[in-house]
Amino acid sequence: MHESEEQLRAWMTAGLDGDAGAHAALLRALVPMLNSFYRRRMRGAEQDVEDLVQETLIAVHTRRASYDRERPFVVWLYAVARYRMIDHFRRRRVTVPVEDLEHILVAEGFEDASLARMDVARLLSELSPKQARAIRDTHLDGLSVAEAARAADIGESDVKVSVHRGMKALAARIRGERR
Amino acid sequence: MKTDDLIAQLTADVPPVRRHALRRRILLGLGGGGVITLALLILTLGVRPDLGTAMHGFAFWMKWTYTASLAIGAVVAVMRLARPDAAPSRWTWLLAAPMLLLAGIAVGELASRPSREWLAMWLGHSWKVCPWLVLTLAMPIFFGLLWSFRRLAPTRLRAAGAAAGLAAGAFAATIYCLHCPEVSALFVLTWYSLGILAAAGIGALVGPRVLRW
Repeated sequence: MHESEEQLRAWMTAGLDGDAGAHAALLRALVPMLNSFYRRRMRGAEQDVEDLVQETLIAVHTRRASYDRERPFVVWLYAVARYRMIDHFRRRRVTVPVEDLEHILVAEGFEDASLARMDVARLLSELSPKQARAIRDTHLDGLSVAEAARAADIGESDVKVSVHRGMKALAARIRGERR
Repeated sequence: MKTDDLIAQLTADVPPVRRHALRRRILLGLGGGGVITLALLILTLGVRPDLGTAMHGFAFWMKWTYTASLAIGAVVAVMRLARPDAAPSRWTWLLAAPMLLLAGIAVGELASRPSREWLAMWLGHSWKVCPWLVLTLAMPIFFGLLWSFRRLAPTRLRAAGAAAGLAAGAFAATIYCLHCPEVSALFVLTWYSLGILAAAGIGALVGPRVLRW
């Protein structure tokens, strides 16, 4: 199970104040989070996942001065993780599209929320019905964009735009709510 | 290495990080570079002999206000971009404000002088060297900022490089004011800005390489 934002942030803050025990607890708690983060995005390169997790832990440790205590910890964490992944691909000279931080936050946020679907339903209810449906179809029910478009009887680009705009709105809410 | 071993190794030494560590580190890099630039200026170019009198005049403060406000704006951008979750800022356009203000002064200056003097005002005495000197003096400050970034986490490397170059160029120009005797706004607007923007351009060019982590 993944630790809550409040817990992670408390450990991070204590670590910044020099508490080695809290810092160790934080890094250990990040391992499963980063594992699932990278595993989901590195299909076909599973052997690199452990390297990426370790590199990210090192970055979290050595660059922790770049964390702002006033801001959500997970946003900072996934921004670091996303950058490590981009750099990983760059080193191997492959071009892979990497999602925006906003998409990542929502996708990872949904994972927490899958334990409590209520949250997702509440968040989605604040979007327009079209955006909510596009996101539910493509991100929760696992339909492809083409399938979602056919099901809702709208164009594929319409689905993509709805997902994108809806994700942006959700990410803004998550960033705001976790303050 | 096993991940558990790595964590044990990393947490063997956990030095405290102060609340405003990021700001301190950037100001330290900036200040360290600035001291070297200032020393370079004093030792090679020399401070203008009439600095005391010049500081009572309008031209000196016009130049300083221009370069210092650009530098402050750029440093604020550097501090934002040193965090991994920096979103594009809505306030970047504010950096154009000092330039527009100076352009306004330059237009006023041109209007008040006969057109045969315009070319001399524009080129001054040092237009050939001014941009190069600003660019050269920016280097120590740029390296200072690179040092700052080593413990920080920029993820938009080109933007971060450009902001660091702009900050270094504008700060170097502020120091260069201690030497440069030019007085026209048009001169500053053209040749100072050219040097400052060249520094920002180089920063943008090398950013993705030198800021990687």
